[in-house]
Amino acid sequence: MDTLLATLVSGLVLGSLYALMASGLSLVWTTLGVFNFAHGALMMVGAFIAWTVSEAVGAGPVAGVVAGTLGAGLIGIVIERLVIRPFYASRNMLLVTAMTTLAVTIILERGAQMIWGPRLKQLPPLVDGEIRLFGNAISAHEALLLVAAPVILIALWRFTVSSKIGRSLRAVGQNQDSAALIGVDVPKAFALAFAISAALAGLTGALLGSIRFITPAMGSEPLTKAMIVVIFGGLGSLGSTAGAAYLIGFIEAFLVLWVGLYWTPFALFLLMILVLLLRPNGIFGKR
Amino acid sequence: MMTRNNLLLLALFVVLAFVPQVFTDGYVRHLFIIAFIYAIIASNWNLSLGHCGIFNFGHMTFFGIGVYTAAILTKTTGVNPWLAIPACAITAAISAVIMAAPVARLKGIYVVLVTFAVNQLVMQLVLSQADLTGGAKGLVRLPFLTIGDYSFIRDYKLGYYYLALILLGLSTAFLILVAGSPFGKSLKAVRDAEDYATARGISVARTRISVLVLSAIFTGIAGGFYTVYLRVASPEVFGFSTMSLVLSMVLIGGINSVLGPVIAALALTFASEAMAGIGGFEDARYIVIAVAMILVLRLAPGGLIQILERLMPTGRKPATPTRSPA
Amino acid sequence: MTPLLDVKDVQAGYGDMRVLHGLSLHIGAEESIGLFGPNGHGKTTLLKTISSLVRPTAGSITFDGIDITGRKPPAIVEAGLIHAPQGNTLFGNMRIAETLELAAFSKRASNGAQKRLDEVYALFPRLAERKTQLAKTLSGGERQMLSIGCALMCAPRLLMLDEPTLGLSPRLKEELGAAIGEISKSGVPLIVVEQDIEFLLSHRPAISGGAWRRRARDRPRERARP
Repeated sequence: MDTLLATLVSGLVLGSLYALMASGLSLVWTTLGVFNFAHGALMMVGAFIAWTVSEAVGAGPVAGVVAGTLGAGLIGIVIERLVIRPFYASRNMLLVTAMTTLAVTIILERGAQMIWGPRLKQLPPLVDGEIRLFGNAISAHEALLLVAAPVILIALWRFTVSSKIGRSLRAVGQNQDSAALIGVDVPKAFALAFAISAALAGLTGALLGSIRFITPAMGSEPLTKAMIVVIFGGLGSLGSTAGAAYLIGFIEAFLVLWVGLYWTPFALFLLMILVLLLRPNGIFGKR
Repeated sequence: MMTRNNLLLLALFVVLAFVPQVFTDGYVRHLFIIAFIYAIIASNWNLSLGHCGIFNFGHMTFFGIGVYTAAILTKTTGVNPWLAIPACAITAAISAVIMAAPVARLKGIYVVLVTFAVNQLVMQLVLSQADLTGGAKGLVRLPFLTIGDYSFIRDYKLGYYYLALILLGLSTAFLILVAGSPFGKSLKAVRDAEDYATARGISVARTRISVLVLSAIFTGIAGGFYTVYLRVASPEVFGFSTMSLVLSMVLIGGINSVLGPVIAALALTFASEAMAGIGGFEDARYIVIAVAMILVLRLAPGGLIQILERLMPTGRKPATPTRSPA
Repeated sequence: MTPLLDVKDVQAGYGDMRVLHGLSLHIGAEESIGLFGPNGHGKTTLLKTISSLVRPTAGSITFDGIDITGRKPPAIVEAGLIHAPQGNTLFGNMRIAETLELAAFSKRASNGAQKRLDEVYALFPRLAERKTQLAKTLSGGERQMLSIGCALMCAPRLLMLDEPTLGLSPRLKEELGAAIGEISKSGVPLIVVEQDIEFLLSHRPAISGGAWRRRARDRPRERARP
């Protein structure tokens, strides 16, 4: 019973992480029709900026998280301007931007290696101590992640459904010309969606930076998992993406319990291929 | 079909055959060998990406499967490298079938996601199965390639050089044959006019599976040769850096062409190596290549080959691939 | 009297294909005009050029005495020059009420948005009945109503309607025609693009003057794809 509950909690932590990552991917996809390969690298940059502000500058972990979020958001705006916007009119926009954002990943990862060096870094937790959840002790910081993820996701959802600006992002994603004809500045909407998504990645990285080590390659594993999430859940809606994220988190945690760390990647891989063969549109996906 | 590009290719191979006479030191020959291997991967990637329009981001999987097939066969089970290298074609082709089965029915971004995820998951599989694959450390000190008593490492890698060149030659001939065959024409139909292709009785799913398998064969062999030559297998072959390096060769060389990626592989391998010689440029050279990739996509989407064709005035129209469905 | 909208010698097209070859048109503050002609003659392109979805390569467009040539679409909406596209081009996954509320996006339109929303619902009671329905589930006629409703939410000073009755049944045409007449009577000048000349002429009291005149040099070299 204890192991079961521990597995549930660990699945919840993983699910929160994947949900934060995948929702950013989903926002950019639904607004711009671009898949941002640099999303994992943006998360990594957020973690490094948070570390610099918190540890190197000494401003403390809260300032670090804020700086990591804003810094990644700003870099997101630059990325959108330099490697996405020039290709809007391109016939192969989807493929071309996949390639340019992949190139940006290399630039960010190697750039981080040059700036911050190879030494492993870690952030102190935002909150100290432990919390008991279903009789399992987890660090208060992980508990914070558990609470923060749904709060952020619901805020993002409310933003796109209820606010004028959020609605305009959805409108642009569904029909650029019609959105322009009611006065929405389409390029500005694109930049905003990209910035929000990047800031979300930066925030995730800054939060993850006190659970895992901060390295230039730290973004690639969460990105891969977020990709599996969107394969399962589709990219179309925030709700199904978040649902799939928690599902994958639980599946991964239970696989670790049943088949061990050694075989988990293999089992996850097999599962993905099987699901795709049986249901090419994913579990929740309607496309 | 001796088009001008094929004649150029032939001329290039003749020149390359004489390179070892000029460069007698092992280091330059090593660079050529690596460039030939990259050229095989890049030009075969182009078969699925360029010719058939499959948004394939998992091509390096086939290479990595080749690397680990050869490494495990030679190191763990003691199979002769001469048998292990061709065996890589089979394992790579099998991995292509596994990847292609879901990809055949998917569209657009989901093809990108699935192919990329397969690549990443195979890497994590390799990392986690440390007993078999050596995990993050990889497998080292694989047996040398020999004929009788002659080790290929001798004579400043002369044997490896010609073997790599022969492999590149075979792979290139294979690609030209595939592109020129009726199947090659159906590839373009699937890429440019899927509905039309379906209406003409071409099975889109079957074409995609076939093209992925075909592109995996020489890529797997190149992986096997690569690991036997370097005597090391490391999970880096699945990583972002190797992938984007090879992808930049495809793009800079020119999508849709056979010659372009080969030339780009040569140029980029030497450029990258030259930059590595500059102090502190170990990481920066990847940044330079990534920036070059973005610039090419922005300024010359046709790649190097199109620029070359524009520079060389000929009587007929440039041999850019026809956009009309065959 | 200076015209409300003055289009002078405009050239525009898509890529290498030029569709408008030096077109001129003007409309006064009190009048409404209809443009008719078969498919592929550049009527939609003209509207897109005026609303700046298509950038003109030559010529000038003046609205209310201000040069708006090449301005961004939001600036043109802000000026009150509103283009209602064909109704099948809306936001499929948004609800009617959401869409109409969002349509009052510009600063100019956000004043009195609630009042205009009531007017739109009064003009098109069907939309009021289907407030929470997704746009993609609407019928062709309802989509046209939503498209026109959106344009009204933008607080137009000049309203351009692109084939508002395309593919509709005679009964629905009649209904929309009446609604367009109402809009015109409320004092909003209109430019209506229509293939159905009889429909335009049957609303003569509302829509007077104007026709799609094509001079020899206006003839497109290539026709736009239908």
